[in-house]
Amino acid sequence: MSEKHEGFMKALKCRECGREYPLAATHVCEFDFGPLEVAYDYDRIKKSMTKAAIHSRAQSMWRYRELLPVANDPTVGLQVGFTPLVKADRLAKKLGIRELWIKNDTVNYPTLSFKDRVVSVALSRALELGFETVACASTGNLANSVAANAASAGLKAYVFIPSDLEQGKIVNSLVYGANVITIKGHYDEVNRLCAEIAGKFGWAFVNVNMRPYYSEGSKSMAYEIIEQSGWRIPQHTVVPMASGSLLTKIQKGYQEFVKLGLVAEAEYSIHGAQATGCSPISVAQKAGLDFFKPVKPNTIAKSLAIGTPADGFYALRVMKETGGAADDVTDDEIREGIRLLAECEGIFAETAGGVTVGVAKKLIASGKIPANDSAVLCITGNGLKTLDAVVGHVGKTREIKPSLREFEAMLASEEKVNA
Amino acid sequence: MPAKKTSKPTSQDTVQQTRLWLMYPPKLIKKPLIWELGHKFKVVTNIRQASVTDEIGIVCLELDGKREAVKAAIKWLTKTGVSVEPVEISVIAS
Ligand SMILES: Cc1ncc(COP(=O)(O)O)c(C=O)c1O
Ligand SMILES: [Zn+2]
Repeated sequence: MSEKHEGFMKALKCRECGREYPLAATHVCEFDFGPLEVAYDYDRIKKSMTKAAIHSRAQSMWRYRELLPVANDPTVGLQVGFTPLVKADRLAKKLGIRELWIKNDTVNYPTLSFKDRVVSVALSRALELGFETVACASTGNLANSVAANAASAGLKAYVFIPSDLEQGKIVNSLVYGANVITIKGHYDEVNRLCAEIAGKFGWAFVNVNMRPYYSEGSKSMAYEIIEQSGWRIPQHTVVPMASGSLLTKIQKGYQEFVKLGLVAEAEYSIHGAQATGCSPISVAQKAGLDFFKPVKPNTIAKSLAIGTPADGFYALRVMKETGGAADDVTDDEIREGIRLLAECEGIFAETAGGVTVGVAKKLIASGKIPANDSAVLCITGNGLKTLDAVVGHVGKTREIKPSLREFEAMLASEEKVNA
Repeated sequence: MPAKKTSKPTSQDTVQQTRLWLMYPPKLIKKPLIWELGHKFKVVTNIRQASVTDEIGIVCLELDGKREAVKAAIKWLTKTGVSVEPVEISVIAS
């Protein structure tokens, strides 16, 4: 390896064959096309990243900076992360479990989803590698996060989206001054074109050539869960799955803290949650298969609608290794999950959160998460982003004339009905 | 370092290298589709990895050829019923 300063990173390493590559903007192994992953110098990290050192740092995801893939101090998204871990007693009672916690990334900064974690890492690394333009192909959360974080870093941003996307989601990227390109065509054509664009232009395409760095950002959620749980790994963690990347990185994060001696080795399970209308990973898990079959998504949980999950194979392996399970829920169950979380805990999640709550409910009911255990639910995005999914399903307003008598009459009639 | 490279529009004549994952449904697993592909189109096929079970065939394929030939080859594969993904699989995230 060169003498170049690379922080605590050692190399990019192929997840299939273990071949090592320089820490550049590349993402697949030349030999077997396996995905590349960042390898670290854990001996050096162990000396630098003690609990005392962590405690002394600002409350953001960057308090774990040794385990995040930047060579120098981060420059983008310094306030991202360290979202609340909320004890959810009322929801616990409803779902029938002894102890329940919500990792609340609905309030992640600045764009209200866990994607700010991956994007702040990708853009910080992109600046280190000398890029001036960043790009992504996305239908929602990722686009918003790239647009916002690029704006604050003074980077030029290109966002590619399928042309049939709702107007509201496009505004959320356009407002930051990003170049938003809509592509007309079938999803798989759009997908192949984006891959081609990513290969052709000298841009930091966050989820393509920057993917090894980008995806590592998700580990910060695992570190925070451990620290906020009093330096313990929760018995159960329920994670929503689109590509399956977040789930595999939660596992990597837990394992790294064990390796560094920051947390005691303990038995734990990581469970995966999908929508029934797009459930390639959960279907495979339930059938005991170690591969998935691609599907055409049809669900209100658009943020999880990836029919061909790139990390599906690895997510299945993590669930198998940790004794975790997967399940999926219908659109109605997703809305019920959103309502349960809002009514019990005052947290308004997007559809992905409804999926996680709904699946947790099923896993508890079936005993796959035992009622006497403790669980953490990863709630990854804000409900204000998917208002259309719940409009018309959340109760009704009642109208009265500006008259006290009428108000009292309304209350009385409702009491009669409820009696 | 690719960072400063300026982009030019694609010329249809340049030879390009395209890396793909092919997924075969069960009914196509026994068909010699890659051999056919090499005869029907002016592309060089290079298999890098493959796994075949009763349920699914997964082949990791490199296609070298002119852009038009590669595009036509992909179109034919898709029409035949093979699902064709770029090496990144799904580039569009949510
Ligand atoms: C809100 C939300 N939750 C969860 C996920 C799942 O991410 P992954 O692709 O890492 O499985 C996404 C992904 O796009 C998302 O937008
Ligand atoms: Zn390899």
